[in-house]
Amino acid sequence: MNQNKKKPQGGLLRRLLGQMGFLPQRMVVDETEAYYAASQWQLMGRKFRKHKLARIAMVVLGLLYLQALLGQFIAPQGLTTYSSAFVNCGPTPIRIVDDSGRLRAPFVYGIATERDPVTMRKHYTEDRSRIYPIQFFTRGEPYRFLGLFESDLHLFGVGEGGRIFLYGTDGGGRDLFSRIVLGSQVSLSLPLVGLSVSFVLGLVIGSISGYFGGIVDSIIQRLIEVLMSFPTLPLWMALSAAIPPRVPMLQMYLLITMILSLLSWTGLARTVRGKFMSLREEDYVMAARLAGVSDRKIIMTHLIPGFMSYLIVSMTMSVPAMIIGETSMSFLGLGLRSPVTSWGVLLKEAQEIQNVALYSWKLIPLVYVIVTVISFNFFGDGLRDAADPYT
Amino acid sequence: MRKLTLLLLSVLLVCLASLAAAELKEAPMLAELVAAGTLPPVEERMPVEADILVVEPEDEIGQYGGALQLAWKGSNDRWWAGKMTEEPLFRFKPDGSGVEPNVAKGYDVNEDATVFTIYLREGMRWSDGMPFTARDVLFYWDHLLTKETFGKSIYECYYSIDPDTGEKALASFELVDDYTFRVTHKYPSAQFLERVAIDNKWLFAPAHFHEKVLAEFIGEEEALDVAAEWGFNDIASLGKYTGYYYWTFQQIPTLRAWVASNDHEAQKFVMMRNPYYFKTDTAGNQLPYLDQLDFNKIQDDSHIELGVLSGDVDMAVFGVDKFTILKENEQKGGYRVLNYGSTDWTSFSIQLNQTVKDDNLRALFRDIRFREALSIAVDREEFVNLVYDGLVDPIQISIPEGLVNYQEGWAQRWAQYDPQKAADLLDEIGLPWDAAKEYRNNPDGSELTLTIHYGSNTLNDMGTELLKKYFNEVGLNVNLKVLDGALWNEMKYNNELEIAVETIACFNVTLRPETVVPVRVLTPWQGHYGEWVATGGASGVEPEGDVVKILDAWKLVSSARTQEELDRLGDEIIKVFAENNWVIGYAGPAPKLAVFDARLINVPEHVIYADEFRDLGHARPFQFSFK
Amino acid sequence: MLRFISRRLLVMIPMVLLISVIVFFVIQLPPGDFMSSYIAKMEASNEVFDQNTIARMRAQYGLDQPWYVQYAKWIAGILTRGDFGYSFSYNRPVWDVLSQRMGTTLAISLTTMAFTYLFSIPAGIYSAVKQYSFGDYLLSVIGFLGMGTPNFLFAIILMVISYNWFGDPMLGLVSQQFVNQPMSWAKLLDILKHMIIPVIVIGTANTCGLIRTMRSQLLDEISRPYVLTARAKGLSEKRILYKYCVRAALNPIASTIGWSLTSIFTGSTISAIVMNLPTQGPLLHQALLNQDMYLAGSWLLLMTVMILLGTILSDILLAWLDPRIRYVKAR
Repeated sequence: MNQNKKKPQGGLLRRLLGQMGFLPQRMVVDETEAYYAASQWQLMGRKFRKHKLARIAMVVLGLLYLQALLGQFIAPQGLTTYSSAFVNCGPTPIRIVDDSGRLRAPFVYGIATERDPVTMRKHYTEDRSRIYPIQFFTRGEPYRFLGLFESDLHLFGVGEGGRIFLYGTDGGGRDLFSRIVLGSQVSLSLPLVGLSVSFVLGLVIGSISGYFGGIVDSIIQRLIEVLMSFPTLPLWMALSAAIPPRVPMLQMYLLITMILSLLSWTGLARTVRGKFMSLREEDYVMAARLAGVSDRKIIMTHLIPGFMSYLIVSMTMSVPAMIIGETSMSFLGLGLRSPVTSWGVLLKEAQEIQNVALYSWKLIPLVYVIVTVISFNFFGDGLRDAADPYT
Repeated sequence: MRKLTLLLLSVLLVCLASLAAAELKEAPMLAELVAAGTLPPVEERMPVEADILVVEPEDEIGQYGGALQLAWKGSNDRWWAGKMTEEPLFRFKPDGSGVEPNVAKGYDVNEDATVFTIYLREGMRWSDGMPFTARDVLFYWDHLLTKETFGKSIYECYYSIDPDTGEKALASFELVDDYTFRVTHKYPSAQFLERVAIDNKWLFAPAHFHEKVLAEFIGEEEALDVAAEWGFNDIASLGKYTGYYYWTFQQIPTLRAWVASNDHEAQKFVMMRNPYYFKTDTAGNQLPYLDQLDFNKIQDDSHIELGVLSGDVDMAVFGVDKFTILKENEQKGGYRVLNYGSTDWTSFSIQLNQTVKDDNLRALFRDIRFREALSIAVDREEFVNLVYDGLVDPIQISIPEGLVNYQEGWAQRWAQYDPQKAADLLDEIGLPWDAAKEYRNNPDGSELTLTIHYGSNTLNDMGTELLKKYFNEVGLNVNLKVLDGALWNEMKYNNELEIAVETIACFNVTLRPETVVPVRVLTPWQGHYGEWVATGGASGVEPEGDVVKILDAWKLVSSARTQEELDRLGDEIIKVFAENNWVIGYAGPAPKLAVFDARLINVPEHVIYADEFRDLGHARPFQFSFK
Repeated sequence: MLRFISRRLLVMIPMVLLISVIVFFVIQLPPGDFMSSYIAKMEASNEVFDQNTIARMRAQYGLDQPWYVQYAKWIAGILTRGDFGYSFSYNRPVWDVLSQRMGTTLAISLTTMAFTYLFSIPAGIYSAVKQYSFGDYLLSVIGFLGMGTPNFLFAIILMVISYNWFGDPMLGLVSQQFVNQPMSWAKLLDILKHMIIPVIVIGTANTCGLIRTMRSQLLDEISRPYVLTARAKGLSEKRILYKYCVRAALNPIASTIGWSLTSIFTGSTISAIVMNLPTQGPLLHQALLNQDMYLAGSWLLLMTVMILLGTILSDILLAWLDPRIRYVKAR
């Protein structure tokens, strides 16, 4: 807490401005008093709110995680609901005006199928003779909610006989919207696991290396060099071949992610070390040391807050990198496999030329990935600005 | 009978030749070289007039010139370049019924089918201008094949078998004159020529070249130097690449229509026309029409697809799953998509390893009721719609109508979706449910899990995913395990595959038996039976049950004398195979999509695309031409 | 400084040896060996093998020996003769295979690297100076799009778009008709055309990270007390920014820039596969998949040397950028 009082630079500027008459006097006083009385977290929260995009990003991320949490309820279908009649069917248009020009509650038409006799491509058109209003809180496919209880309640659906594919279907006739929603459960949670492992390792080892220097630093740096040279591809191949087939896909993937994140903390550790090396020469560190503060305390209370902003940026930047990493693994054929679904699995299916060229709605998962990545970044940006001790 | 056909054929050829070959014509690029004096005139480069092979073009007399743009992944795709340019001694006729002379001019065979006299073409030359004679055949036999210089054991087709004792005897070769050689078998070998056409397409090698590189002629040390010069590490590699995979090396003369002209690891590997090629069209134009084949290096299969769509690739073959995207862009990309036949019996099947190591699984896999249950537990109608977009038939594995040994009714056997009956069958076998009523256990109460091994691609991924669902529905717990090529092979040879996703392709079981008859380790359902047969019982698993019947019939095949006898034996083998359904098919065979640039003429509308016929080589690319 | 560098270089030698053992061990970890993947490939083309042949071929390549024997032979060859061994799948010495692609790899990576740094460092500075401006947001969004889209998919989408609009997906480094042709203006133009997609795909993937790092670092620096001091002393804003802030902000970038040495020589693997670029990345990927031991091993060994050199380079850069770090022995 005493730190706040030590370096109120942002407040300083404000007070200067106030004294120079740029700000109404009363406000300066109030604000400064509130400012000094606020805790570190309140300060951060206050600054965070100033960053408009970060706020939006936080809301978006919140919605995404909420959607993942309520996945089975939001998704109209399960992951293995194949439908041979609706293979590669485009998104179902939702209408509010019917053929007679009458306005009505949102509805969809029935779907008619026709096969092009030359190219054998299935074309799906609206069958205007059948109208299915969209219903909310409908009964549908049964599922186990969060593994806790059975339910068959779904957020939305259309009546018996109708079909609604918000984002179209894939090559197995499965509802893409459902797969995206259910896939987000994996894609939004797995990276966090891997990340936390490598983040903690990178931070701890990097700090030690940078603060102590000398022989400790040398040993750690050599260790990092060894780990950096580890070829991950054969390692991954060996691991996935060695793990027996009875281990469920998701567990196997989690296991491998964790093993690989044991190798991937090196980048962070190196940056942390670089930062430490310059910070440890700062006068206030020297002062602390002379005052007999323990090494651990110096690292924790004086050094790490000194570049917290960098760590936060790097961490929020790593989440998207992990999400992308998962899709790359799928591309190499080493990632998850359907019916276990993640966004990487969906993108792997989308990346075939014919899907990009003919069934472009299969790229919708990409939008989710991009939105997530951008949100994480803006969110991180906001945090950075908030955590910055100088502004 | 044979002799008569041969006689008629030769007469016909001679007539055609004399009609057309009043004057030989050649490609402009060669005419320039002749004019410049660097190449002898075309008459001196080709066989004597009567021995030229005259080819009737598919549609019309073509025009010289043009480079065919092709895609390949580098030298590991050597067979792609190899098969389409291959010139075997005898090649399969367009309809696949028996062989016809190609490099050879003709042959005689005695009554017993033991002595084959084979005639070559007088005046024929290697691509470097040196004469091609029967000595090159004898050289191949004496110095390459029987000495295993290129690392392959002597092919089965050169052994004849004593029908009584089963004893194998190696054939003998003798030189008759410059253009004639004789092969003598100890026991009858009625299918010798067909089997040569499959096992050992080229039965000749440029002696004058190999005498300069083989250790036998130039000594170990010198040979090592040559190997090093070629970039090889050892003499064995030199032997393999010069004696076997020879067609991608520019230094080695061949008889092919196009010969390698640069480094095969280059970004673009070019095969240029062979000025000494021995075929003409009916107007006396020396073939080939196309100047060169350009093999452009790619890294991923999707590049072939993109190349075809954009017109950068002039010729390629695809699976049926690319049908829609290819058809949609036919106009824009300027190509034609042709449906070529295949010898596939199915496009998606699982093979139950009959010698699987686990005792419980082995008993199950050998139980015909279990195989029936696995077959009828799957809704094939839905399966083909989801995996193949409904482009193939929802039928059992079976020989397509029109191929040898077609079996009526096999296609429909166990093809009807009946999960109830499947469950009943599993009950009958005695597979009890576990405590949670979720999955079935082994009869002894231990946990039962089926592992399906497969190589990952879009079709297999979807197919196995569905199988897992169907099998789960009848109470069978299934694990899916993806294997890459190396691991697949490793496990296959170690008898570790359980249920393997692999199709069966075979155009005539008496000629190419290994997918149906366990003669060596190859086809997953046979497991290690093949090992047992190949090693004469030294290792592997001893065949039992109906597999023995197949092997017994196979023993009679090699000593059969008439076609009728062969067909009957083939039928017998296939019947046993069909009754047992060790391989369960869920989707009917699909055509191969052969894509050709729209400007290309003389491309046959339909051929059978099969390895035995050398894939696209069967479409006779040497007479393709650009309009 | 010189002593520091020479000491570090000396330490490198045992490190390289140690890492080479580990790397070689890991390469052969996946089940099967080169022969099994080779046979699988050839069997796919219906070539026939019997078990004797396979055993003989294994023996011929020395694959029947334990991995440490293979390693010993290989490393001995490198140390005594400078011979990096033999690539099984290319059937020629490893060095020949590697050098064949070196030129294109360097050309592509250096172009994209140049693009990345020349674009992102100024962009990061701009973003920091004009925080929360429209330009700041625009740069962020562009960067995020590049970063948020998996490279391989981005490349495929751009290729399909290019095909739909221009009828040419721009595969490879140069059009087919120019391969094996001598350099000409037309060819150069064609190459430049083909470089557009790779530069966008590979470039944007890294720009985002750099812009963000640069921006946040610079923001940290700008608000530091020394800036206030400098301002009070009457230094020009430009001078403050470029002479002091930017220099300090480059610190974290510098600490990892050395490692991009490896990516210069490898190129971006997955994107290169998708776009058919003849670089080392796909070659290494194939070698690892095929267990082409000596090719993969040699390449990874070279990469190790690069990483180690890169680390030293980074440390030197760090010291240069921040004079307080002098690598004197710490307490």
